[in-house]
Amino acid sequence: MMQRTGLSEFNWRTKLDIIWTVAVARFKTLARYRGWVFMDISIPIVFAAMPVLLGIAFAGSVSAAGENFNTNLMNLTGASTQLFQVYMLIGANVFMIVSSSLWQVGFWIRRERFTGTLESIYLAPASRMLVLAGISLYANIRSILAFFVSFTIGCLIFGVWPFQGQFLIAILFLLAGIIPLWGVSFFFGSIVMKIREANALINIAQLGISFIMGVYFPIQIFPKAMEYLALCFPPTWMTNGVRSSILDLSYFMEHWYIDFAVLWLFALVFPLMGLWAFRKIEDGIRKNEGVGQF
Amino acid sequence: MAKPIIQIRGMSKTFSSKERKGGVFKGKRKKVRALIDVDLDIMEGEIFGILGPNGAGKTTLIKCLTTLLLPTAGKAKINGFHLEKEDTMVRASLGCMLMGERGMYWKLTGRENLDYFGALYHVPKKLRKEKIKELVELLKLHDFIDRTVETYSSGQKMILAFAKALVNEAPIIILDEPTVTMDVHVAKELREIVKGLNAKGHTIVYTTHIMQEAEELCDRVAIIDKGKIMTIGTPDELRQTIEQESSVAIEGIIPQKAIDEMKALAGVRDAVVKSQKNGHITLSVICENSRKLLPGIIQTITANDGHIEYISPTDVTLEDVFIKLTGRSLSVDTRVVVKDDAKDGPK
Repeated sequence: MMQRTGLSEFNWRTKLDIIWTVAVARFKTLARYRGWVFMDISIPIVFAAMPVLLGIAFAGSVSAAGENFNTNLMNLTGASTQLFQVYMLIGANVFMIVSSSLWQVGFWIRRERFTGTLESIYLAPASRMLVLAGISLYANIRSILAFFVSFTIGCLIFGVWPFQGQFLIAILFLLAGIIPLWGVSFFFGSIVMKIREANALINIAQLGISFIMGVYFPIQIFPKAMEYLALCFPPTWMTNGVRSSILDLSYFMEHWYIDFAVLWLFALVFPLMGLWAFRKIEDGIRKNEGVGQF
Repeated sequence: MAKPIIQIRGMSKTFSSKERKGGVFKGKRKKVRALIDVDLDIMEGEIFGILGPNGAGKTTLIKCLTTLLLPTAGKAKINGFHLEKEDTMVRASLGCMLMGERGMYWKLTGRENLDYFGALYHVPKKLRKEKIKELVELLKLHDFIDRTVETYSSGQKMILAFAKALVNEAPIIILDEPTVTMDVHVAKELREIVKGLNAKGHTIVYTTHIMQEAEELCDRVAIIDKGKIMTIGTPDELRQTIEQESSVAIEGIIPQKAIDEMKALAGVRDAVVKSQKNGHITLSVICENSRKLLPGIIQTITANDGHIEYISPTDVTLEDVFIKLTGRSLSVDTRVVVKDDAKDGPK
C-alpha cells in the first residue's frame, strides 16, 4: 500500500543526510571545476604579496620593512612582531574565508535561481535551513583547507616558518569565527534573494569587509568611532585572534579566552539574526512572484 | 467512491510585475491577477488535466499547490494537509516536474542528481539507492544515467526531470507540460508510464496545452483561462457541451426515405447528396453535434434498409470546447493586467 508521504521519513538521520548530501554534491562539483581549487590557494598569497612587496619597496629591504612594521605596530597596539609577511598572510587568508562564505551562500542563491535548481530545492520538503547548513559546511571545509594550504605555501614563499606561536588557539578562533559568519552569509543571501544583483553586491561588500576587518592593518589605526564599528563585526575578532595567537600580539580584551568568548557571543546571535532575515525575505518573495524569478 | 485528495477553495493569486517600456530607467509596476477565486476538487487516483493557453494561470495554480507561491486568498488541502500550515507534509506528498529540463545540476550525473533530490525529500539512503535502480529500469536511463547532465540531449534532461518527480514515490505526481521538448515516441512512452503509475494508485495532475494528450490521458479536465476555471468534466462531457455545426460524411446505399427521416432528426440542419452513381450515394449531413447524432443517423439508414460503406463524423476536440468557452484559440497569451498601480501590489 502506498505511504501517505511516499518514501519520505522525517527523523534526525534523514536530516543529517540532507546536510551531508548537499555538502558532498558541492564537493563533487568543485572536483569538476579544478581551477577553483588553484584559485582558492593562490588568491590569498597574491593578496598578501602586494602589501608585503610594497613594504619592502618603501623600506629598502626585508629586514628594514620588518623593523618598520615592528615599531609602528608597537605604537598602535602595544605588542609587535617583525613577521609582517605572516601578519599579511593571516589577514588575506581570513578575508578569503569571509569572502568565500559570502560567495558560497549569496552567489549560491543567485546561481541556483538562474539554473532553476532553487525552485527544485523549494519543491522538496527539506528545511531550507538544512540546505543552508549543507552549503555552509561545504564553504567552511573548503575555505579552512584552503587557509592551511595557502598559509603554509605563502609562508614558505616568503621564507618564514608557518607553524609557530599558539597554533591550536588560532584554529579555535578560526572555527569559532565561522559560526557568526553563517549568520552574516544568511543575511547576505536574503539580500541577494531580494535585490538579485549578486555580483555588484558581493564586490561592494568584499571591499567594505576587507577594510573594516583590518586585512592589512590593525583596526586601532581607525578613528575611534570606526574602530568601535569594526569591533561589532565578527571577522575583525577572528582575524585578530588568529594573528595574536600565532604572532603573540595583543588581544582586544587582553586575554585570548575573553576574545574567544566574545566571538562565541557573536556565534549565538548572528546566525539567529541571519535566519530570521532569510525567512522574512523568503516569505515576502513567496507572497509575490516566487523564488524562481530572476 | 473516490475522495478528493486536493481541495481548493476560493484561491486567488495576485502579484506585481515590472514592465519596462521606452526609456532606460522607466519602469511601471503592474498588478497581475493570475488566479481568480479558484474552486477545485481533484479525486484520489484520477489523472486530472489542467488545460489552458500560455498565461492562463496553469503554472501559477501548480506553483501555489506546490507551496512555491503563497496564494493571496483562499485555502487548500492536499493529501489531507493544510497548504500553508503543513507545507512540509504537503511537499512530501508531491512529486513534481515543473520546469522541464531546468532544475538539475549540470555538473552532476543523472544518478547523483536523483540521489541529491531524494535526500532533499527525506528518503533514507538505502531506499534511495533502490528507488534510483528501479527508475533506471523503468525509464531506460542506463545509457546516460552516469554521465554529467551537461552532456544530455533535451529529451534526456526531460526524462531525468520526470525521474526526479518519482524519486520519493509520492501519492500525488504533478507534471507541468512534461512532453514539451520530447520526441514523439519518447512522449508516447512517457504517457504510457504515467498511465502505469496511475494504475498503481498515484494521483496525477497534468498540465498541457496539447489537447490530444489530455484526451488520451485524463479522466477529468479543467479548462482554465484568465486565471479562472471555465469548466470541469470528463473529456466526453466537455465535448458534448458544444452544440456546434459539424458534418458527417456517409457513403453507401442510402434510400431517399432514410434521407428524409434524417432531415427530421432533432439537431440535423440538412442532409445533402453530394454525388450519386449506380445507386451509390455520397451524403453530407450537416448537424449541430455529429458525435451526439451519429447513432441516430446510423439507425435511420439501417432501419430503411440502407447500407453504409463509410461514415466519418467530424470530431469535436477539447480545443473546440476552449474556443467555444473563451472565443479564442489556445495560442493566445492571456495574462490579466488589472491595475497599473504599484502601491496596490501585494505586500
